[in-house]
Amino acid sequence: MFNKILIANRGEIAVRVIKTCKRLGIPTVAVYSEADAASLAVEMADEAVFIGPPAPGESYLNMDRILAACEETGADAVHPGFGFLSENAKFPEALAKKNIAWIGPNVYAIQSMGDKLESKKLAAKAGVSTVPGFKGEIEDDQQAVEVADDIGYPVMIKASAGGGGKGMRIARSASEVKDGFKAARNEAKSSFGDDRILIEKFVEKPRHIEIQVLGDKHGNVIHLNERECSIQRRNQKVIEEAPSPFLDKRTRDKMGEQAVALAKAVDYDSAGTVEFIVDPNKNFYFLEMNTRLQVEHPVTELTHDIDLVEQMIRVAAGKELELTQRDVRIKGHAVEARLYAEDPYRGFLPSIGRLERYVEPEQGPMGPGKLRIDSGVREGDEISLFYDPMIAKVIGYGDTREKAIDALADSLDRLHVEGLQANAPFLSAVLDETDFRKGNIHTGYIDEHFPDGFAGTVAREDQLRFMTAAAAFVHTTFVQRATQIAGRLTPAPNAGELHDWVVIMDGHRFAVEMRLPQGAIGEEVPAELWCPALSTGRMALATSWRPGDHLFEGELDGEKFALTFSDRTEGYRLRHRGFAATVLVCTPRTAELHARLPEKEAADTAKLITSPMPGLVMSVNVEVGQEVKAGEALVVVEAMKMENVLRAERDGTVKSIEASAGDSVAADELLIEFE
Amino acid sequence: MKDVLEQLDAKRQAARAGGGEKRVLAQHEKGKLSARERIEVLLDDGSFEEFDMFVEHQCSDFGMDEKKIPGDGVVTGSGTINGRLVYLFAKDFTVFGGSLSLAHAKKIMKVQDAALRNGAPILGLFDAGGARIQEGVDALGGYAEIFQRNVLASGVVPQISVIMGPCAGGDVYSPAMTDFIFMVKDTSYMYVTGPDVVKTVTNEVVTHEELGGASIHAKKSGVADGAFENDIEALVQMRRLVDFLPLNNREKVPARPSYDKPDRIEPSLDTLVPPNPNKPYDIKELIRKTADEGDFFEIAPDYATNIVTGFGRLEGQTVGFVANQPMSLAGVLDIDASKKGARFVRFCDAFSIPIVTFVDVPGFLPGTKQEYGGLIKHGAKLLFAYAEATVPKLTVITRKAYGGAYDVMASKHLRGDINYAWPTAEIAVMGAKGAAEIIHRADLGDEEKMAAHTKEYEDRFANPFVAASRGYLDDVIQPRSTRVRLIKALRTLKNKNLSNPWKKHDNLPL
Repeated sequence: MFNKILIANRGEIAVRVIKTCKRLGIPTVAVYSEADAASLAVEMADEAVFIGPPAPGESYLNMDRILAACEETGADAVHPGFGFLSENAKFPEALAKKNIAWIGPNVYAIQSMGDKLESKKLAAKAGVSTVPGFKGEIEDDQQAVEVADDIGYPVMIKASAGGGGKGMRIARSASEVKDGFKAARNEAKSSFGDDRILIEKFVEKPRHIEIQVLGDKHGNVIHLNERECSIQRRNQKVIEEAPSPFLDKRTRDKMGEQAVALAKAVDYDSAGTVEFIVDPNKNFYFLEMNTRLQVEHPVTELTHDIDLVEQMIRVAAGKELELTQRDVRIKGHAVEARLYAEDPYRGFLPSIGRLERYVEPEQGPMGPGKLRIDSGVREGDEISLFYDPMIAKVIGYGDTREKAIDALADSLDRLHVEGLQANAPFLSAVLDETDFRKGNIHTGYIDEHFPDGFAGTVAREDQLRFMTAAAAFVHTTFVQRATQIAGRLTPAPNAGELHDWVVIMDGHRFAVEMRLPQGAIGEEVPAELWCPALSTGRMALATSWRPGDHLFEGELDGEKFALTFSDRTEGYRLRHRGFAATVLVCTPRTAELHARLPEKEAADTAKLITSPMPGLVMSVNVEVGQEVKAGEALVVVEAMKMENVLRAERDGTVKSIEASAGDSVAADELLIEFE
Repeated sequence: MKDVLEQLDAKRQAARAGGGEKRVLAQHEKGKLSARERIEVLLDDGSFEEFDMFVEHQCSDFGMDEKKIPGDGVVTGSGTINGRLVYLFAKDFTVFGGSLSLAHAKKIMKVQDAALRNGAPILGLFDAGGARIQEGVDALGGYAEIFQRNVLASGVVPQISVIMGPCAGGDVYSPAMTDFIFMVKDTSYMYVTGPDVVKTVTNEVVTHEELGGASIHAKKSGVADGAFENDIEALVQMRRLVDFLPLNNREKVPARPSYDKPDRIEPSLDTLVPPNPNKPYDIKELIRKTADEGDFFEIAPDYATNIVTGFGRLEGQTVGFVANQPMSLAGVLDIDASKKGARFVRFCDAFSIPIVTFVDVPGFLPGTKQEYGGLIKHGAKLLFAYAEATVPKLTVITRKAYGGAYDVMASKHLRGDINYAWPTAEIAVMGAKGAAEIIHRADLGDEEKMAAHTKEYEDRFANPFVAASRGYLDDVIQPRSTRVRLIKALRTLKNKNLSNPWKKHDNLPL
């Protein structure tokens, strides 16, 4: 098909494309910026070309550099991945001039679908359902009510020039439309100097469901059913799945047909995605079309047994689709979670840096299904502030949705990240929620279920059992090993001794007796334990865990589980799904003494302003002795190219300033203290 | 006979009660355990053998003859930590506020003598109000005799002090002469003169915490080698520390089984040193990935953070890690870092603990503050300590080894046994830019020429191969194989035999 494919991208998607090329026997070229010189994609590609500094504008978005890389290596085709140049029509145009093939749709499709208004017009013309609304300006409140009556309630009244929620109103009745119209108009005028107002249908609790389409250069277009991507945080997709738990066959087929109609209208000749919002009554409305491969494409691949990258390469080389719509069948269910380098416990602040430890579970059979991981990093790689902080896509597959979710959750339990914070506990928490399990989801799901952010889930009984058993096992192992030290006054006690422990965790205190038989450590000879508070009778724990391991995989009375583990001064840190705890294991006597010590009051951090993340101090806006009001900007810290303004939480006087402009600061580093 | 036994029992009960239930409760309310409770947490179950529980003071002045409590404010004895012998004394704040009388001092001397004679570590748990003023010079004499024993035991048996309450005046100098001082956050403080005296003398108003809390000593003064959240955490960590230490200076480091593979390869270390020479990285990652099971007991983690010191194990046997920390002040050697490093190196040498040094040092810190502070003499301490050390010395240069600091950090020239470098190492008198500016002063105005000169110096010295060609390095190794290579090297040094010329003692630049 092609002699050599250059991937004009980085990270996970570059690796993903290279894998398919390798399977097809096509040599690959990676391009890389200064920040990615030692990346996995560079290592895997047959050739790699340096294209510039880390900033995307100077490297991955720099067409000239990439074109030069094509010429230098003799690549005759370019796969753009997603993001960067993937939807920039100028890029395929430039490639065409050099006779280099573009593994993506034709320029017209990119241009017409890239324009919001144009794409909506084309969609409407192709018979695609669009959000009902009045195509024009509204003159006065009388007309507003007429239009709203016509569309059906609720409606959204918004400023034509609007953005950021300003001048936006939701109205559920004629009287609300009247009031809303006036208010929106005033606000629009004062905010934008433009009082033109639009009215359209407001979709409540919308779901985000999209159709994967695939076309060739011979006029054939098929669709590969839908993906649901309703679990979003700030418009960023977090969990995606296929098929949607919500659609029925009729709706699915209708959406598919319309997506294909739209694709045909622009002679679509690659893989693409038609995005819809769907209301609770299964009415669906066109949102936009993405003329590229999507991040979440693996869930479609797994449920349709297809390699979309391979398909894109084939059609780009002018081959006809091998599949017809009749061949397309959904098989099983797949759920993808995006593992981000962000701290779920601190409002999802970016947590960039080096992956000191990064251990992925093995792909293949996992729990009741199987696991696929698409990642572009290895242990020791840097999650850089220049690019998207996604570490990996973790995808669970199973015969049913339930099994797919379980496989994914089991995988996330076996994923160990150290050096920075990842959102795995949060992802697991969502996967474990009843509403999610039932498929009761919509794009406001995260805001609705985590209105105050994420602070970990409440432990379930089985989680308490797993953690107690694991912590007691770890502790017994450490204690028994410690007695093997040279220089004792008396011989070391025999293994197999019964140990009495109290496990202190998350406000609980569990009395545990534990016995580690000879050879229990690392050998899966089951250890025995008793914990009356958690289980009547003896429990058996088999595990291959040994000191130094970060993953504790065990089987407790036949129930398999995995925990991430780290040994810290303050106790053992364990996590299962969305529940994490610091666990203290001690003798009953020490536990008794521990109870005598009063809980320490948390330090009064209200008087301290600390850096929420590692970054660079851009400016300090106050001086020692200055009185500040609540809300006043104190320090600006830049991280991830974002300026974070740290403000005073209450009125006060600045006692000391510990940082100055230009300083690099760590997370939690003290910046300002108040009196 | 029965009567006598009952009498013994009753006397023991009375002694164990210390200052009574009320005072013990008050202790708990302050977030502290009692002396006996602390001992229970510190020692193996049932291993405590108490000395002198019936000792009472002999003071009769100021009505003291009316007030006698058996034990006299300190609990002493021996016990085991994971089966190994230790001696200890624990000040009992519930009895006369733990204040030191002659009788009290004699109890401490007795365990100090026993520890020294029998070759076992000694731990002191401090929570006391200083000298018992009613005893006058007897108390002062008691202090001095304890100090004398601290000095004699120094370098013979490990001495560890844990400050778990007030520790002021005469009480501070015994811990000051021990090998390690640890504190408990919020409940302990340590100073020579307290806030009241400070106010009288200097008009300075300070709190106990500001003057001598754990946050001060573990971060600013460097008096403390670590701080813990509460009594239990501190004592559990002391058990962990003792497991790293030999019982005395005639014993080898303790060995215990390791579950870690000696041939563990860490591919991610190949990318630990960033391509940009000015970008920092965390040297502790290298320590964690080198040590058995990633287990590292750091000494003074919050003080002079530009140098990292602490204990780990290789193949189950203790080693001391010393490493420049690029994350903090670029890993530069300043006064504090030199003192911290020197003290740790000397401890390791005194107790036959092999030293593993990771080097990434841009030099000594310039400036008036450092020079006025005596950087020359303080920096010399680290140099002196490395040079006199006869224990196995293994060194890995990861990146910069510039100037005099190259010499200091366990270089070949200071009798380093095995000196390795990563391919990213740069061994030179100074950074290339600075060097070019001195060598080619005439071209200073010409940017192009200077760039070429800098490049020339870089090409010549920004690599380990010049040093390797001289034999100053034994090998240039792959970062990923650091653990493997260090373990292999250490095996060859099991029977290392090296001694310094006889001397009464050296004259370290204090």
